Amino acid sequence: MPEQVLGRRRGSLTLATIGSAALLLVLALALYATGASVVAGLNRDRRLMRSAANAVMGAFAATLLAVLALLVSLVRHDFSIAVVAQHTSRELPTPYLLTALWASQPGSLLLWLTVLTGASSLVMYQNRRRNRELMPWVTAVLGGTMVFFATMAALVSSPFEHVSGAIPADGTGLDPSLQNPYMIAHPPALYLGYVSFAVPFAFAMAALITGRADARWMASVRRWTLFAWASLGVGMLLGAHWAYVEIGWGGYWAWDPVENAALMPWLAGTAYLHSVMVQEKKGMLKVWNVVLVSGTFALSILGTFLTRSGVVNSIHSFVQSPVGPALLGFLALVLAFSTAMLVWRLPLLRSEHRLESLVSREASFLFNNLLLLAFAFAILWGVIFPVLSESVRGIRSTVSVPYYNFFLVAFGLPLLALTGIGPLIAWRRATPGSLWRMFRWPVVSALAGAALLGLLGLGSSPAGLTAFSLCIFVSVTIGLEFARGTAARRAIAGGSWPRALVDLVSRNRRRYGGYVVHLAVVLLVVGIAASGAYGSVNEATLKRGQSMEIGGYTLTYQGLTQSRQANSTETAARLAVSRDGSSLGTLSPGQRSYPIEDRVTNEVDIHTSFTRGDDLYAILQGVSRDSVTIKALVNPMVSLIWLAGIVFLLGAAITIWPDPREARQLARRYATALAKEA
Amino acid sequence: MSTALEAAAVAAVVIAAVLLVAWPFLTPYRGEPEQVLSERDRERLRLLEQRDTAYADLRDLEQDHRTNKVSDIDYESERRRLRAQAAAALRALDQLESITEVASRTPSSED
Repeated sequence: MPEQVLGRRRGSLTLATIGSAALLLVLALALYATGASVVAGLNRDRRLMRSAANAVMGAFAATLLAVLALLVSLVRHDFSIAVVAQHTSRELPTPYLLTALWASQPGSLLLWLTVLTGASSLVMYQNRRRNRELMPWVTAVLGGTMVFFATMAALVSSPFEHVSGAIPADGTGLDPSLQNPYMIAHPPALYLGYVSFAVPFAFAMAALITGRADARWMASVRRWTLFAWASLGVGMLLGAHWAYVEIGWGGYWAWDPVENAALMPWLAGTAYLHSVMVQEKKGMLKVWNVVLVSGTFALSILGTFLTRSGVVNSIHSFVQSPVGPALLGFLALVLAFSTAMLVWRLPLLRSEHRLESLVSREASFLFNNLLLLAFAFAILWGVIFPVLSESVRGIRSTVSVPYYNFFLVAFGLPLLALTGIGPLIAWRRATPGSLWRMFRWPVVSALAGAALLGLLGLGSSPAGLTAFSLCIFVSVTIGLEFARGTAARRAIAGGSWPRALVDLVSRNRRRYGGYVVHLAVVLLVVGIAASGAYGSVNEATLKRGQSMEIGGYTLTYQGLTQSRQANSTETAARLAVSRDGSSLGTLSPGQRSYPIEDRVTNEVDIHTSFTRGDDLYAILQGVSRDSVTIKALVNPMVSLIWLAGIVFLLGAAITIWPDPREARQLARRYATALAKEA
Repeated sequence: MSTALEAAAVAAVVIAAVLLVAWPFLTPYRGEPEQVLSERDRERLRLLEQRDTAYADLRDLEQDHRTNKVSDIDYESERRRLRAQAAAALRALDQLESITEVASRTPSSED
């Protein structure tokens, strides 16, 4: 075993030795699990399959050991390890010492591996008595993915690599922008999303390999897909909130390549969650669903590649890093393998029915899929265009925010309309009479709402006004769906209205949980449209006692304060806030200086008014001897974006919550099929 | 800590992993025999899925009709179609069972 890989130094037992050995063990176990499961699948050898499953669980335990070794190294300030020396310091508060684990490239690969082995172990446990025909191949695909990431973590970009040269007395510290509580939850949530998409991909490939293209594999991974999708969504919202409160430019989404990297698989996953219903109901879109599952996983790998290869900064840093080409190779392998499987099994994936009408729920899902994919492709083009231009022309041409905003409006507004249309249209075909009955109130409400909002002066942004009107349309459709469904349930089963509502939701969790998610989308769109189209900004240099005005608020500069934090010093401007003569308290935007990291960051301060529904956002732009420069923004309805996150979680939880009736029906069906033969 | 202890710690982890992987071969096999889906199983599964899908579609149709999404005329024709689909699946299942019974009553050449 190479000396460097094992992290052996001066003959003492080091945490680096344990961690490196654990990662090599993960690689060995992943290789075994992959090989053994393939042989078990070919020979139908149950013992070998159990052994392969144990290897997966052993790989998870060994990964946890490596994580533990790194965490202890971080807490104990073991600066002989490069990751510890380059991403922490002795003064760094303990919570950020722990989260420094995923601040570096090797650490984030270790996080990938941890989530992957953990998810794979859970899959092994959940399916110990189920899906016996599929499981060897599921294990092989998950094992193969583990082999790749274990190779990266153990041999290519090890988190236990030693510092070059002498061991420093102190580290260079953690990037100050990462020293925020949201950074504790944001990366793990994103990684849970990225990595969990490996599970539906593995089941889809196993279904193709075994020729079991029935609905079983989709039922087996429905919750995994929803979990991955929900985690990615929550991860993005946590990241948006982090950007809002930490980065200090007044916004929450900048179409940064790292943000886009998460949005693309989320959009593809959203498309799959809708199209899978068409396959379950109508036996259509089978090929499309396999393409979406594979595409979503490939986009997750692409996201990791974009964020971890250095390609976003420059094509040259990508070439210099060994991780980038390896990730690109793995992405190519995933695409080639899934395409080959799809082509091989094409005859099994024929549609059982054809689209009968363009005015039907399946057609609305198809349009929604096309729009989601078109939007994902537009973002992908925006992300890779600078890389392509640099590699072809040698000049890096970037794509700016208006490009993305154009497609957000062009694809987002029709998608929003479909969010309201889809649930109200019947499957197969809708008649003009039923359309009129279902849509008259939503349409009338939306038009009335648009007229009212126009009169209130919101017509300055046609896109914003359209978005608001569509949000009213969708909200009314959701309200009507709940009202009509509850009334129908009450007519059948009797009882109180709340009881009927609970019965309705619990008997059809996917449908009504989905409507709650749609409600979250409405809140999100209102928040984005209002803050994007109707916000205001002002900047002023103030001496003590001077004031500035913004959106009806008055900010009066009262002086500077200085405070010492654990590893930084902060200078803040004290601003008295008032509106219409009444005091609303003070805001203290500041600048924080980190001596070890040699960085100065903006520390914004925000006053949220729930009655007015806006945020007063203050940034300290500059400090001179007797004055400060303040940038202030009024961001309307941004709180709705964070509320959307909570509603989104609630909706996702309703859809993910196990339905015992469905599980019993599936179990009975497969037990019947096997019992007849026995 | 000595190099020997370091080696022992790593060896212990490796041995634990080897034991975990080898465990299914070291313990008496108590699992059920491998059940492989035959062609007939697959066909039965397909028909059962077809039947259950028709039942689920009927339930959804009922809900859509109660909430006015489907007109009375469309409801009647769609209900007839779905019931026919469920009946066809049930008939095919019965047919499959009768073929299976006949096959199991027929003595094999080895008997």
